[in-house]
Amino acid sequence: MRPHLLTEDQRDCLQEITNVAMGRAGDRLARLLDVFVVLSIPHVSILNPTDIAMALHSLNRESNDVVHGVCQGFIGGGIAGEAMLIFNGTDFNDLAKLLQYDRVADEQAEYELLMDTANVLNGACLKGLAEQIDTHFSFGPPMLLGQHCNITDLLRNNNMTWKQALVVEINYSIENHKINCDLLLVIAEHSIAGLVEKLNYLLD
Amino acid sequence: MTTTNKEFTKFFEDVHWLMDILQNIDVGLVVMDKSYQVVVWNSFMQNHSGKLPEDVLQRSIFSVFPELSETWFRHKANSVFVLQNATFTTWEQRPYLFRFPHYRPITGTAEHMYQNSTIIPLIDSKGHVEQICLVVYDVTDTAINKMAQQQANNQLQSLSRTDHLTSLYNRGYWELRLIQEFKRFDRYDQASTLIMMDIDHFKKVNDKYGHTVGDDVIRQVSRAIKEQVRDLDIAGRYGGEEFGLILTGTDIEGASIFAERLRTTIEKMVVISEGQQVKFTISMGISQLSNKITDHRQWIEKADAALYQSKEGGRNRFTISTF
Repeated sequence: MRPHLLTEDQRDCLQEITNVAMGRAGDRLARLLDVFVVLSIPHVSILNPTDIAMALHSLNRESNDVVHGVCQGFIGGGIAGEAMLIFNGTDFNDLAKLLQYDRVADEQAEYELLMDTANVLNGACLKGLAEQIDTHFSFGPPMLLGQHCNITDLLRNNNMTWKQALVVEINYSIENHKINCDLLLVIAEHSIAGLVEKLNYLLD
Repeated sequence: MTTTNKEFTKFFEDVHWLMDILQNIDVGLVVMDKSYQVVVWNSFMQNHSGKLPEDVLQRSIFSVFPELSETWFRHKANSVFVLQNATFTTWEQRPYLFRFPHYRPITGTAEHMYQNSTIIPLIDSKGHVEQICLVVYDVTDTAINKMAQQQANNQLQSLSRTDHLTSLYNRGYWELRLIQEFKRFDRYDQASTLIMMDIDHFKKVNDKYGHTVGDDVIRQVSRAIKEQVRDLDIAGRYGGEEFGLILTGTDIEGASIFAERLRTTIEKMVVISEGQQVKFTISMGISQLSNKITDHRQWIEKADAALYQSKEGGRNRFTISTF
């Protein structure tokens, strides 16, 4: 952990509140979806644009086991960032069953399913986090990488203006379903002030 | 008393202009309760749907708008009620929720309005969500632009794959497909046969009648190929007068029948160009993909070697690669 983004104490505090937030998120998802959601302990780290570019790159390869990613912006209480949900080994039929959709008719229905899942998982998690720091986030619409925005363009334009970002990583899996995804909450250095303030308040 | 009155007046004035904003904002606003009965219907919705508030208020949204899928919308909205979390729809996945006909006679280009939408929870004073608000955005212009761009990209892609003279695949793209087919065979072990084909004595046709006639001959041969291949077959122009045909899911027997039919068609063909009547024949080499073939180049070499044998053997025939 590089000291100029968060101190040791601040990081521990963030880890702690995201952990509580995840507990609440798991509870909400269980009520909505009627399944048991296995959430990993959130991992807090610092990443730079190259790390994110690598993650994007892995979503761009033209292989048979396609990995999908959905991004969704959030902003509020002096904090802003983007939630990136990466579906690793996920079966569309299982996703459809989970969200109680009748069937996955075509590619567009698959995309809709991905975005709905991302919206529900991101929403549950970020709402939990917002409650912990006593704020409220506004959300943008979920963007399916490769569909709503071109990954190659994202990589080529290289327009990430930040140097470092705080990243909270959480792994979701759902019992008895072939669904596994990683959620990355990416908060760039210039959008972190509100969070630091809240963390300091909690630490005092 | 006067202070309270003033406060009341101020409150009603505030509510009045707030309502004015909601009424006149250029997005659709629909507030619904848990049974999906409409509580608020702003003028955007009113004007685009042609339905007055009295047609819609206190009625189920599904009974007023049968085009809105009830099962789908309930699913979406349920997560808003339970999670107290907004949800979204985009035109790419679902062009519209409400079918509003296009209304601008000059600058409107779509048949209907493309819509993005957001469903937001309305949290009451007790912290419960008893009502939701559906926000409908008109994204027709964005949608039209994006679709036009996609179409242009597809056209460019198709142009970069096509041989201009024959409209068959060009060599670069054809070879790429050959490699894919080779890999597919490696994985699924499904029969696949390659035919390399060449127009006999084409140089003589060019020398005798000129290049315009030569080009017409190549075009006619390509047309015959296109008429005889099936949708899944991959036909390309490999060189000047040489063509490559990948017959997917086809073994030597099937390929031989195909080759013989193409041979007789070309043999009977008369190309009329520049007032000349030209007759000609083709030779072919056939190679079925097997485990003995180690890469796609070797596959072409085998078919080419068989084609050479056909030429040596007197042309106007096909030869099956024997190894």
